[in-house]
Amino acid sequence: MLPPRRRRFDSPQTLIVFCIGTLAVLGGILRAAEPVPAEHLEFFEKQVRPLLVQHCQECHGSKKQEAGLRLDSRRGFLKGTDSGPLIIAGNVDGSRLMQVLGYLPNETQMPPKGKLPAEQIALIRKWVELGAPWPEDPVGNASLEDAAKIHWAFQPIKRPALPAAHSDGRTPVDAFIQSALGAKGLKLSEPADRYTFIRRVTLDLWGIPPTIEDVREYESDASPDATEKLLDRLLASPLYGQRWARHWLDVARYADSKGYVFTAEPRYPYSYTYRDYVVDAFNVDKPFDEFVIEQLAADSVVEANDPRLAAMGFLTVGRRYLNNNHDIIDDRIDVVSRGLLGLTVGCARCHDHKFDPVPTEDYYSLFGIFASSTEPEELPIIGSPKEAAAYAEFQKELAIREKAVTDYEAESLAKVMDELRSRSGDCLLVIARDNQNWLKLPAVFAGKNEPRRQLVDRWKGYLERTAKEEHRVFAPWHQLSKVLPDDFPAHVTKLIDRWKSDEGKTDADKINLLIRNSIMGMPPKSLPELARLYGDTFNQVVGQWDALRKQTPDAKSLPDAAAEELRLVLYGEGSPAVVAMDEARRLVGRDVRDKVTELKRKVDNLKVTSPGAPPRAMVMRDGSPQNSPVLIRGNPGRPGKQVPRQFLQVVAGPDRKPYSKGSGRLELAQSIVDRKNPLTSRVITNRIWQHHFGTGLVPTPSDFGTRGLPPSNPELLDWLSSQLMDGSWSLKRMHRLVLSSAVYRQSSKENAQARAIDPENRLLWRMPRLRIDFEEMRDSILAVSDRLDFSLGGRPFDDVMNSKNTRRTIYAMVNRNDLPGVFRAFDFADVDASAPDRPSTTVPQQALFAMNSPFVIEQARRISAEGQRSATDDAGRLAAIYRKVFAREPSSEEREIGLRYLREALTTPTEKQSPWDRLAQALLLTNEFWFAD
Amino acid sequence: MSIPTTRELRQHLSLPSTRREFLNRAGTGLGSLGLASLLGQGSQIHAAPGDLSPMTPRPAQFAAKAKHVIHIFLNGGPSHVDTFDPKPSLTKYNGQALPTTNLPTERKTGAALASPFKFAKYGESGIEVSELFQHTARHIDDICVIRSMRAEVPNHEPSLMLMNCGDGRLPRPSFGSWVTYGMGTENQNLPGFIAMCPNGLPITGAQNWRSSFLPGVYQGTYIDTRHKQIEKLIENIRNDQIGSGEQRRQLNLLQELNRRHADQRSSDAALETRIHSFELAYKMQMEATDAFNIEQEPKHVLEAYGNSVQSRQLLIARRLIERGVRFVQLWHGEGQPWDNHDDLEVNHRRLAGECDRAIGALLTDLKERGLLDETLVLWGGEFGRTPVVELPTPGANAGKINGRDHNHHGFTCWLAGGGVKGGYVHGATDEFGFKAVEKPVGVHDLHATMLHLLGFDHEKLTYRYAGRDFRLTDIHGEVVKELLS
Repeated sequence: MLPPRRRRFDSPQTLIVFCIGTLAVLGGILRAAEPVPAEHLEFFEKQVRPLLVQHCQECHGSKKQEAGLRLDSRRGFLKGTDSGPLIIAGNVDGSRLMQVLGYLPNETQMPPKGKLPAEQIALIRKWVELGAPWPEDPVGNASLEDAAKIHWAFQPIKRPALPAAHSDGRTPVDAFIQSALGAKGLKLSEPADRYTFIRRVTLDLWGIPPTIEDVREYESDASPDATEKLLDRLLASPLYGQRWARHWLDVARYADSKGYVFTAEPRYPYSYTYRDYVVDAFNVDKPFDEFVIEQLAADSVVEANDPRLAAMGFLTVGRRYLNNNHDIIDDRIDVVSRGLLGLTVGCARCHDHKFDPVPTEDYYSLFGIFASSTEPEELPIIGSPKEAAAYAEFQKELAIREKAVTDYEAESLAKVMDELRSRSGDCLLVIARDNQNWLKLPAVFAGKNEPRRQLVDRWKGYLERTAKEEHRVFAPWHQLSKVLPDDFPAHVTKLIDRWKSDEGKTDADKINLLIRNSIMGMPPKSLPELARLYGDTFNQVVGQWDALRKQTPDAKSLPDAAAEELRLVLYGEGSPAVVAMDEARRLVGRDVRDKVTELKRKVDNLKVTSPGAPPRAMVMRDGSPQNSPVLIRGNPGRPGKQVPRQFLQVVAGPDRKPYSKGSGRLELAQSIVDRKNPLTSRVITNRIWQHHFGTGLVPTPSDFGTRGLPPSNPELLDWLSSQLMDGSWSLKRMHRLVLSSAVYRQSSKENAQARAIDPENRLLWRMPRLRIDFEEMRDSILAVSDRLDFSLGGRPFDDVMNSKNTRRTIYAMVNRNDLPGVFRAFDFADVDASAPDRPSTTVPQQALFAMNSPFVIEQARRISAEGQRSATDDAGRLAAIYRKVFAREPSSEEREIGLRYLREALTTPTEKQSPWDRLAQALLLTNEFWFAD
Repeated sequence: MSIPTTRELRQHLSLPSTRREFLNRAGTGLGSLGLASLLGQGSQIHAAPGDLSPMTPRPAQFAAKAKHVIHIFLNGGPSHVDTFDPKPSLTKYNGQALPTTNLPTERKTGAALASPFKFAKYGESGIEVSELFQHTARHIDDICVIRSMRAEVPNHEPSLMLMNCGDGRLPRPSFGSWVTYGMGTENQNLPGFIAMCPNGLPITGAQNWRSSFLPGVYQGTYIDTRHKQIEKLIENIRNDQIGSGEQRRQLNLLQELNRRHADQRSSDAALETRIHSFELAYKMQMEATDAFNIEQEPKHVLEAYGNSVQSRQLLIARRLIERGVRFVQLWHGEGQPWDNHDDLEVNHRRLAGECDRAIGALLTDLKERGLLDETLVLWGGEFGRTPVVELPTPGANAGKINGRDHNHHGFTCWLAGGGVKGGYVHGATDEFGFKAVEKPVGVHDLHATMLHLLGFDHEKLTYRYAGRDFRLTDIHGEVVKELLS
């Protein structure tokens, strides 16, 4: 992060102003109840506003806000800079504005180009005296509360009454849509045929097309509840969870790696447990409120080792931002606020949200919650590996690798302590060199080079602690380090003289005898020399102690009292050289840290790759609860006032209570799924709609704020949202409500008249034609060649386009450090942040993949081989291939086209792919295969 | 004059669903014809529905010279005091402590280290350049040397991210993806943004050319120039199963089926676009093969560039620019080759030897073909190196005391072509080259200036994401007017 630019208003004076007149006081006085007299406004418009435009707004206007200041609204003056307001009622001269205009010496002077003429300053002065009159600006001056009052998404969800039943209306969803269409003179298209419908809904719910058998069964089912039975069957299959979990994983910015983390293991060993949790949650129709609570706070609602703990991957599978904690928390605030609430709270990290009622205080209220939570080093085990032998093998190997880490760390701990002792002189030398009185002499160290700063700091801290007392070992150091270099030798002489004359007196300086003798033996001429002298004396004691321990391993002390006194400085309680492991990790050199990282990587690598590694949940736990200060402009170096951990004001209202249980995560989750919260239910309802129709009722699915787009059918959104909450938050019920409607059933046929009225089809006069996405593409190609492996769960597989890998695409490794090109080419979700939707682009790289990739060619070969086996004549073979790829018979024209191709296609030695294989591949490439009508 | 808003772009990307809708939109002012007009006024491009691609070329916000960018990235951090920023005082103090305090960098540093390389004056401007870049230096009158660059921290990862994506830590789109987002690309048969790096990835890998929250089409296409065969350079560029004649016949079958399918559906524009994309892909197979095949170059050109893999990719860069690719980034090599903490003399000489000649040849070549005016060339690393020697650190520089540490306080980049002022030195570092002291240029300023040269107001090239209008320069950056010709 950049250090903030020096801002002109950052001076102690502004802080004082801030203390005298807070915004609240100011608002109270200046926001007079009676209307502003018209002549005051006229005075402002004619005399003052032009001055502001001319002299202030270039730097403090809508384009630039130097020092965070905006002077194009009255609110801007009241709010002032980061440090406080510009004008104070009743104290014109105390107003910061008048001070800077006054061009005082040693003060901020504004405008920077030169002092304003006296008469202009007088005009501004008068304006401040009048209470800064400013005409009402409905947008610019709208307060937080106002915005919360008028914007649709912040209004409570009230279940709307059903519109008067329409003649061909079948369901409530139809009634709402038809009512909106009817208002424009539009109506629904006719129902799609059964083939189109089963293909549409199977791709929608399973992510693969139906087989010819599925189609025949549905087409021949004459019972009135045929469609209901179809929906039941599709929703009951685990294939549904494997498809719909992926939509949620986009929102959860799911990936199997951490982003760049230097040399540490970049893969998450256990991210897959979160993915599997989500698949399972969709399959068992976990109520959405429970789903939210578990993802935010499973640690408080389930037992240790419960598989549901994996839910918390929602918070923890994000990028690791070079391990910068502020950015990690920012990512978590973002995924919670945009993902669950459709609010861009992240915009309030550095300033109040510019468009939505989210003050920066609210951001730091959430920040405090996550800052009060930690990730345990040892993640909880939530299951056992399938094979006991593999598990045992894993544990054995793990113990070996972990021991390598602890052994090495213990070894380096001992080394660090040795270094602190044996290099005491060098450390003191650096401290001497840092002393302001002493010039920066090039130091000569006893060791090979300068001791590491962290070691020096240990000694420095120790010296600072002992400076306050008459320390028996370091008193001479403390005295002499205050002396100027020129006076140093004289002071040493004086000290020695005193010691000599003190001999035998009871009130003599109580100085360690060995130190005293060293100084008297070779009086130091400078502080660096004194440093060396201390070092040498300490090293002698270290030598004695080592020798004694060699003879008598259980020796407890040195026999000589003075030597023992020095030994205790090096080995005793509170010694700078006695270090706990945690501390030692910060003291070791880069080489040691690199080695530890390398050894830990071996541990992590085993967890990532070993088939016997048990699944673990990427949980968070409550740490010590702490409120966060507001960080001014998002800068950790500029903490402002503390804010309680609590929910967003715009949702919880002015009477919200701070959270009190631990970090507050559970309470946060409860606030999110509270029935009174107007956002959560609308947001998830909209996401469901979005994935059925390609676009949400609200086309900006993660931004329900004032900059997002309004719902195309607000009553329907609210009706479905109430229905969701009343239906115990069941998403499968929601699917049924939508899928059994005539709206979803209708044809995607073009209608010129309707398009003239509603060109974007926002009112849904037809079913949108949707192109299949990346996962549907790969899964469908594998499915129609009978190769798709439907098994559930487990570690991700690498090399997604290797034709040997046949698991569903949701199980492919999502490597955010280096996402394979094919993911990007097919518009995979952004892996760095919560993705509300995917773009849908058409680029030649997609076509190149379809035409040339070994993956597609291999699947085509299998389809062709199977097709050729199943019939004896070419027409029969062709039909068999059509049944595989499209789950239908070819038309007679299609048969002719295909057979003609087979007659004309050449086979020369360069053609390794047979005409039949080429034909099967061409069918896999068609728009028919890649779109759902 | 406007850059697409996110909404417009999304509207575009979701594509009108029929030809009629397309014309309808055209009639309602969303753009008279296709994306080109969605994104900028006065476009003369007449697009069929099939050309409605996010890569369709479109004019920038205002008229400007530069149309293409070549970024020669000397990853690891080339030493400015050994290349383009001569410091005689270092020779004076060689082996002694500088009279000023050493600024904090990544590691411990010691005494002054004189440059072992000879500097000479070049061109009419008489700008001094070291022997390392003597071939490049012949073009000094076309080069604008910025000696007062500054980055934020002395570490590779954040500095790479800053130079490439405008932010040291947070995931943001790369420069190349912003430019292709803003301008599309001129040749639909080649990727619009290509990043080449021989032998593997640089530090922080593909993040250096990511599209982040911009649509994936704007991400750089990575090419490992270690390979010479086209199928190893671009994924799926060739079908090794059938010849092109039979592939054409197969595509004809596909398109016949697609045609029938589309006609039954009143010619949905999304269907048309996909039909068209197969024709583009078919042509791309030829065009890309051709673009990367430097064997077609005459012998004297091959000789002028030289033999190294870096030379080869510089020559490929020229071939790509000629063919209308928008943004080409050339990395010196895998990892961080220019990161010479020790043996700087030997290593810098070797590394410069691998690219200097070809950079000179590239500039000659671009000029001769009249391409230099419209191609903005940027040369530089993620930061420079200290004027003082790096002290031995266990595990870091093998105890040798003959290299330089990272230096973000001051370093050199240069620009050429595309409307920059040639033969000009901008700003200066202090007497020893430690810190930019005169007219410092931050990375955001460099980005703002380069966007300006391409015809963009850096404050207006924005993309709405997560509730905010993002831009390459975030809330920073000022155009450095002195760099413009």
